[in-house]
This record gives sequence, C-alpha cells and structure tokens, in this order.
Amino acid sequence: MGFALKLLSTAFTIVLLLVAGCDNSGPVVDSNEVVSYGALSAKVRGLDPGDIGDTTSSAVASQIFECLYQYNYLKRPYKLITQLAQDMPQVSDDGLTYTIRIKKGVYFADDHCFEGGNGRELKADDFIFAWKRIANIKYLSKNWWIFDGRIVGLDEFREYTKTCKSRAEVDYSRPVEGLTARDDHTLVIKLKKPWSQITYLLAHLPTAPIAKEAVDYYGKDIINHPVGTGPFKLKLWHRGSYIELVRNPDFRGEVYPCEGAAGDLENGYLADAGRRIPMIDRVVLVLVQEDPPRWFLFLQGKIETSGIPKDNFNEAIDQKGVLTADMRKRNIHLRIFRDPSTYWLGFNMEDDVLGRNKPLREAISCAVDREKYIELFTNNRGEVAYGFIPPLMKAYDPQIKQMTKGTYNPEKARQLVKQAEAVYGGKLPRLTLSMAGTDVVARQAGQFYRRCFKNAGLDIQIDYMDWPTFQNKIKTKSAQFFSLGWIADYPDAENFLQLFYSKNASPGPNNFNYSNPEFDKIYEQIAVMPDSPERTELYRKAERIVVEDCPAVFLLHGVAYVLHHDWVHNYKPHAFGYGLTKYRRIDTAKRAAYKELLRASR
Amino acid sequence: MTVYIIRRLLYTIPIVFGVLLVTFLLFNVVAGDVTDQIAGKAASAETREEIRAEYGWDKPMFFAWDSQFFNHLKNAVTFDFGRSWSDRELIIDKVKRGAGPSLSLTIPMFLGTLIISISLALIVAFLRGHIVDVVVVLLCVAGMSIPFLSFILFGQYFLAFKWDIFPVFFWPDLSPAHYVLLPALIGIVAGLGGNLRFYRTVMLDEIRNDYVRTAFAKGLSVRRVLFRHVLKNAMIPIITQVVLAIPFLFLGSLLLERFFGIPGLGYLMIEAIGARDFQVISAMTYIGAILFVVFNLITDICYCLVDPRITFE
Repeated sequence: MGFALKLLSTAFTIVLLLVAGCDNSGPVVDSNEVVSYGALSAKVRGLDPGDIGDTTSSAVASQIFECLYQYNYLKRPYKLITQLAQDMPQVSDDGLTYTIRIKKGVYFADDHCFEGGNGRELKADDFIFAWKRIANIKYLSKNWWIFDGRIVGLDEFREYTKTCKSRAEVDYSRPVEGLTARDDHTLVIKLKKPWSQITYLLAHLPTAPIAKEAVDYYGKDIINHPVGTGPFKLKLWHRGSYIELVRNPDFRGEVYPCEGAAGDLENGYLADAGRRIPMIDRVVLVLVQEDPPRWFLFLQGKIETSGIPKDNFNEAIDQKGVLTADMRKRNIHLRIFRDPSTYWLGFNMEDDVLGRNKPLREAISCAVDREKYIELFTNNRGEVAYGFIPPLMKAYDPQIKQMTKGTYNPEKARQLVKQAEAVYGGKLPRLTLSMAGTDVVARQAGQFYRRCFKNAGLDIQIDYMDWPTFQNKIKTKSAQFFSLGWIADYPDAENFLQLFYSKNASPGPNNFNYSNPEFDKIYEQIAVMPDSPERTELYRKAERIVVEDCPAVFLLHGVAYVLHHDWVHNYKPHAFGYGLTKYRRIDTAKRAAYKELLRASR
Repeated sequence: MTVYIIRRLLYTIPIVFGVLLVTFLLFNVVAGDVTDQIAGKAASAETREEIRAEYGWDKPMFFAWDSQFFNHLKNAVTFDFGRSWSDRELIIDKVKRGAGPSLSLTIPMFLGTLIISISLALIVAFLRGHIVDVVVVLLCVAGMSIPFLSFILFGQYFLAFKWDIFPVFFWPDLSPAHYVLLPALIGIVAGLGGNLRFYRTVMLDEIRNDYVRTAFAKGLSVRRVLFRHVLKNAMIPIITQVVLAIPFLFLGSLLLERFFGIPGLGYLMIEAIGARDFQVISAMTYIGAILFVVFNLITDICYCLVDPRITFE
C-alpha cells in the first residue's frame, strides 16, 4: 500500500509540476515559531478596511489594522478602551466636538509603498484621509453609512467628489471643516448633531487609518496589500485558498489585560496578565467552506477552533447540553455565549394586505412555534425573542415577554384570522413568504412555517430564492413578508432601533417599511442623547411601540457554541471584537500531546 | 488540410459570437441588477448610480459604439474581462491562478480514468458473458447510481479522517501531490462506471468484427490482438470522448475542488454562481466555449490522422 501510494504520489507530482506549473513549496516552517491554525468559512473579499462589509474579511483585516478604540477583551458588559487613541475622547459640552489624542510612536508596518520600505509614524491626517476616502463617491465604499450626515463638511466633500471624473482626480487636501488635525497627534471631529454612538464606530474596522502612500502606490490593488499598524502583517494571500499572517515586528507595545470580569481569574483568563502581545508568531487561515472537512480538520487537531455543524451537534453535545465523553477525552473546551442577534419574519408594512391588517400580522405571529423552531433548526442554540433587542444588550427589557401579544398560541391565531378576515372584508388571499436560500435546510424551515400557518388556518406559500434575488426583492419593497435578521454592529440598542425608523425605509435598513410618528419622535430624541438611564428607558419604550404594532414575528436571539482545543489559551468569546488573535496563546506541547493521543487511539 | 483548418476556424466566429450574445442576454438583461449587492447596506441612489457608471451599466444596451454589448465583445476579444464585482480582483488573474490547481486535479483524474477504463473495457469485452464481465458491469451500474457527493463524503470520512491515509483537505504545508491524491482517486473511482461501460460497448462492437477472428486464426496473441488491432480500430469513438473532455479539464471539478479546498476554476465558478458574479460566470462561459470549439477542431483533425479513410473534404 505504502509503495503504491508513494508511486502514485510521485507520478502526480511530476504531472502537477510539468502540466500545472504549481508551486511545490509550502510555507517554510520554523520549529521555534508559535503558529496558530484556523479555518475561514467564507472567502476573504478584500483587505482594504474602507471597503470591507463582510465578517470574514473584517476578521482577517482586524489583525492587520487598528482603530482609535477597541473593546476590552475580558470585561463584561462590553466596554471600550483605547487602541490608537491615547485616551477616551474629550467631548465638548454641547456634544458636538470630539478631541482625540493619538498615541505617539505608532508605526505603519514596513512596506514598499514607503520611502526606503520603512513604515512611517501614524499621524492624525491618516484618519482624516481614510474617512475622506470613504466619503469619496468614486471609491464606492460600502461604509459611507457610518459618516452619512454626521460630520460637518464631510457631506459637502462627498458632493465635491461627484463632480470629479475619476477617483484619481479627487483632491484629498481639500479641507473638511469637521475633520482637522490640530497637530500630528491630535484629531478634532466636529459633528452636525450629537452622536453618542460615535465611539463605537471609531472601534469599527472601516474607520481604521490608512497610509495615503499605500493607496497611491497600490491603486486598485490596495485590496491585496494591507498596510496597517496592527499586531500582524500579511505575508501570503493565496486568494480563495489560504492566508498567512506574521507578527509585525514594529507593533507598538501592547500588553494582555490585567483586569477582567468576574470569574476570569478562576477560568485562567488572567494567567497572561501584563504579558506583551501578540504571543503568536504566525497565523495560517485556510478557507474551508464545507462543514464536513472543517469538522474533520478540527477533530484532527489541524485547526484550533470550530463551531458545531448542525449535523455533528449530537457528536459534540449530549442530551444534558454539555460536551460528550468523546469531546472531553480529547480535552476539547466548549464556550457558549449570547449573540447580539435577532431573527424574524418581517412584514412589508406597505403591502396592501399585511400593512393594513394588524390582526393578520398578529395571527401569523401567534402561529409560529418558536421553541420548536429553535429545537429543530438550531439544536436549541437560541432564545425565544419577544422583541428585537437581544438579552445581551444593556437596554434589553425583561418585561417585554409580558408586553407582546404575538407569542405562540394556535387557538388565538385562529381567532385572529377571523378578525383579520373581517378587516380584509372576506377570505384572505394567499400570502407569500420570501426566504433566502434554496438548500435543504431553507426548504425544511419553509415546510415548518407552512405547517404552523396551516394550523392557524392561513394559506401561505413559500418563495425560495438565492440571497442576491432576496436582497433585491427586499430593497425594491416587492417582498410581502420575509425571513431575515440582524446582528448588531456595536453594543447599543440604537443599532436595532434604526431598523424601524421611517426615514430608513427600503432600500435603507428599515426593510419593514415601518412608519410610526411616535416611534420616529423617540428615535430622533435618543439619537442625540448620551448613554443614561433615561435613554435606556426610551429604548425600551420605543421597542414596546414596535412590538405593539407587530411589523415582524420576532423569532429568536442567537446563542453561539464554540469549541476549542485545550492548547489554545485565553479563548474568551467576544460578541463584537474581531482582531482577537493577539490575545491568544498556543501551548505547542499540548498540541503535540493531542497528536500523540490521536495516534494512540488509532 | 490548412484550408480545412482555416475554414473551420472561420466557422467558430459565428459560434463564439452566439455564445457571447446569449451570455450577454442572460447575465445583463434577464438576470437583473446587482447594483444593490455591490452598494452594501443603506446605500443611496447616487451611490448606486456611481456603481452603474463604474461598471458601465449606465450605457445603452445595444446600438451604440460604447454600448454594453459592444464592450462585452471587445472585452472578450482582448481577454480583458475587467474586475469581479464581488471582490474587485481582475477576472483574468483569477482564471490564470485557478487553471493550475484545476489541471493538477483533473489531468491525473482524466488520465487515470482513461487508462483504467480502456484497459478494463478491453478485458471485459474479451471476456463477455464471463462472470468477470457480469460482475464488472454490475459494479459499473452501481457506481453510476451512487451520487458523486457520496463518493466524496465516504472517501473523505474513511480514507482521510478515520484511517488517516490521505490528508482531509488542502493544507499549506503539504505539496500539491499529497492533497490532490485523494480527490483524484475519488474522481477516478466515481468516473469509472460510466466510462468503462462506454468503452466496453465500443470494444464489443469492434471485437465482433471479422478481422479479429482472422487475427486469432493467424495465431496472434490475445494481447497483440486487443491492444494492437482492436484498440487502434476503436480509436474514433475514443478520440471523440477524450478530446472533447479536455476543455472540461480546464474548468475543473466543482464539488471536488470545494470539498478538498483546491483553489481551481471549478471552485471559482461555484463561488461566482453563489455570489451572482455574472462577469466571472460570463468570462468562464466564454473561455469554455472557445476551448470547446478549438478541441472540436482538434478532434476532427485527429480522426484523419487515425483513420486514413477520412479526408479533409
């Protein structure tokens, strides 16, 4: 067998090298290097932070780029701390001017784009350039929503870019009143109106500083050449296959947090307190889009962490909801944490049938058995949603369960259908639920909904489609009702409230095309309020208004299950942070022991 | 022969034009607008307009010198397919990069299947009606009835994960020969059923001819009759099958590449379909059409080379 394999292998190598011209050399492995291996479940689309709009690209780029602020890795509830900023911003009394001091001695990683190939020091102008670049309409950034209508003069700058013929013609030296550098290390931001969420957005990857030299040098290929200030830099990117990052030798001195949340000390999260980070030399991330190979790689110890594929859930988690004996034997650890997410069946409130018929919407809401759905489709990895603010958020309303009228109750649903028919003035027409996905799971979910609706006496057909078609349908207001959800960008319920603001109707984020003047008034009020108990109360009030109007069947809030091997230390789940590899430590002796364990068990 | 080749090459012009017209109509007229996908969340109408201008979707569809269709033709002729809208990478770079990995999988797969199936077909055709023939035909039918995905999952689970004979997936530290071995083997096994049955039928047609009996009557060995005479005379259907399969080698294997992490053109295609990246799909379709037309011509030339009775008329 061995000889045959060797022969075949040699034959293949010859064919490959002669015909395909493949590179036969893998990465050079230094035995003293600490390497972290991971899997990416989706393709990295690009590593230009200004244009990143997907989580996979963000997860990789966040290892390379840094923002002004970041989340404390250990503390809960989630709290912002400084990253490139020297301290938290000084805010003027009227809440309109933010003065931010930038750390000195922070350097961009060495790159050919700089004179002599040596990275230069980070300056306030790098932030201004990055944000003007997002404003430049010719750049076609997906992230203009961050700054749209917020900063004095930036909208005018965007208007100016519309008059330019190409992106190269845009003059970035053109002043923007609301973005100025008092000196190389002081950034002053002037807002049009108070915006307390700005600090969360300043911890959001697209607001990372960019070196103009890199943009000028690489042009449109900047997506392949990230030049940041972060703990790692890109060594190799074999597009559609794998990415290799290496420690940035010029990374500013950052240390592992010395304080954490309750229980962190007992759980070993503070064992590396005060230690210089990153503690890993090289990060290899392989693209594995299918569940079976990703799961096998994890069990073989090739990759360090993994979610639990639906089909392997019982292999990993037993009836009691804890790790199975096999997983424990492998020294695999389970981390469970709440996602900042809510999933729903949304109604198009501009639809002639659904928009004007509240009993019908409530009937649909009462018809859906959320608990069964969570059990069948998420292996119980979810919590029933009664409103849209997830329990993870500070503004979560524990009383919302009592407020909602649309909890599962098939008998009530049947009665509401009769009321709905009275409102409609006859037999209800067949309704169409649009669902993204044409795979087996989507169809199974569709069958589940149909059964729920049928029990309530509702005639609903399911329309399955691919994601782009689905998105198009929503944006053009042509979906009657649809299955969708939202994962918060930052730990502030405002991020959910904006989804119901009438001025954000489709093609904006308000896919429900929901409009309620009372809600709008509260939203406009809280949008300019700083964090306070009063604002939290208003968030809850706004949520109750929405729940009362029933523009959606709120289904569930996600709960994430993550597995990791015991040689990965400091693995604390974080709902909002991306560039977290810098905190991790790899115990190579334990990794070798796992390989031995596997060998012995064969 | 030269005149024939030139004539055939000229015939390819309307065929390729037809392919370009159909792909243009499918992806630019029927499939709808992808501007919203590019624009991301909460994009304004102006942003969408800019995107349309960037990709030339604001220009007239036909009947203008800078129309979308004219640009589509121009891009195809110059092999400048522009940038993919899903990741803004040059499409031609994607194609160049994917061809190597795809061929590294499909060539061994193709050669392995071809050699094994033709050899076995000759043997079972010679032993027709024998128990070996019956068993092989049964196995072929069984092999053809099993979904391709089952071969992949079975091979990956047992041969790679459970018994650790092969790597489960592509891995940067491994040479291509290692991680391509299992998918190629799976491809060969999965493809044997259909190919073997086809070649067996071809061989059976040939083996029943008088010249075979004459050859045996003259005392030639079985090996000499089968491999020297029968195989040579069965070359026409074999060439048709083989040469026309070559263009598909360049296009890779959708499922094998995805399940084993081979960054080839099959993977590229499946990604592009998932993301509705029409420019990539259109470019791949065009390249596939060109390859198909060229290899069709090569097939015809090969006919003349292996069978002197066929002329370039």
